[in-house]
Amino acid sequence: MNIIKFELLKLRSKSRGWLGPILVFILIMVAFPLTVEISNKDLGNSFFAVLWIAILLVMMLATEDIFLEDFNDGSLEQFAISNISLPYIIAVKIFIYWLLIGVPISIIGSLFCLGFTNSSNLAINIFPILLITSYIFINVFSFGNALSLTKGSVLGTLVTLPLLLPLLIVLGKAVISINLNLNYLGFVALLLGVLSIIIFLIPLIISYIIRAHLE
Amino acid sequence: MHPKVKATNLSYKINEKKLFQNISFELMAGKAIHIQGDNGSGKTTLLKIICGLTNQVKGEIEKKLDKQICFLGHKNALKQYLTVEENLSLLNIINHPDLKQHLIEFKLDKSLDINLSSLSFGQQKKIALLRVFLNNSDLIILDEPCVGLDNQSQNYLCRFLNKELKLEKSILFSSHISLDINSEKLNLSNQV
Repeated sequence: MNIIKFELLKLRSKSRGWLGPILVFILIMVAFPLTVEISNKDLGNSFFAVLWIAILLVMMLATEDIFLEDFNDGSLEQFAISNISLPYIIAVKIFIYWLLIGVPISIIGSLFCLGFTNSSNLAINIFPILLITSYIFINVFSFGNALSLTKGSVLGTLVTLPLLLPLLIVLGKAVISINLNLNYLGFVALLLGVLSIIIFLIPLIISYIIRAHLE
Repeated sequence: MHPKVKATNLSYKINEKKLFQNISFELMAGKAIHIQGDNGSGKTTLLKIICGLTNQVKGEIEKKLDKQICFLGHKNALKQYLTVEENLSLLNIINHPDLKQHLIEFKLDKSLDINLSSLSFGQQKKIALLRVFLNNSDLIILDEPCVGLDNQSQNYLCRFLNKELKLEKSILFSSHISLDINSEKLNLSNQV
């Protein structure tokens, strides 16, 4: 419980860490319709492409210094020698980031979906997909950031970006299914499957990477 | 009686540069070892090997510990953007009954609501040392604990560590300053 309190207090005190990405997301979503013609009736069609890319970029931004600060001030050293397992601490850290950044962005994304498409059904159906997707993105970008912990975070996230391209294809197919009133639960199950694997695997891999950086 | 830490023929090198070679020692309960050596002789590396943060190139290390190691290295593990009180809360020592006494001794009892970034280097070191003072560990590892501390605080630290030795705790520390702690000396400068 202490590690959860630790991460929550840290993020709450550092509003730039969680509020910044949320504001950037809102800014992108508000700016998007301004760049196309107001009379464009197909605004709703391109909305999802912008939504996924916006979430992708914002999650990249949100995880920029997920481990860097703790590495620089020696907190990671203390985590590594503590009796609590390092993968667990990392998993909690990622979860807190998702709770404070991923969940609000998923809610705001659903509201934007309602505004752009005028379909409450679509907005409700897209919400669980947004929740799962944001969690997957945070996990993968955290892995990227851990990779390049001492060499600047951008490099690592760029390396991991291609890993998410298949996920974007699945997201596109899921939206088409929802729009055509087809069963989209298969895609949700697929996303959940991916999440259930990486939720265990990525903290474990990150713990090895961090131990290597601490040497 | 088993030693708390037993190192046998420990060696470490960076690329081809040997830092130390074939270091062996035993640290029993209630004993302290003062690691000495020139800059770059491997004092911090040796302490990190004992903590399990770094792997030795050769040799073995055995630890018989019931509790987690209490380690204070060059980095204080404190958050600059939080107040002293919030940092103590993160360290999980805010409700410790002995905290107030140490804060008064370090003249930090009136600084709880001040941001850590507003404190001097020495004062920040004292906050980090509170984690050591309120430890629940049977092995204390300190890397240059006196850096930034005034004479009064250094004496207070020595008195505390001597008390911990009487409680059968084991202490490993590196320091360029000679400290009034009943300890064996291990000089790394003579080990290559």
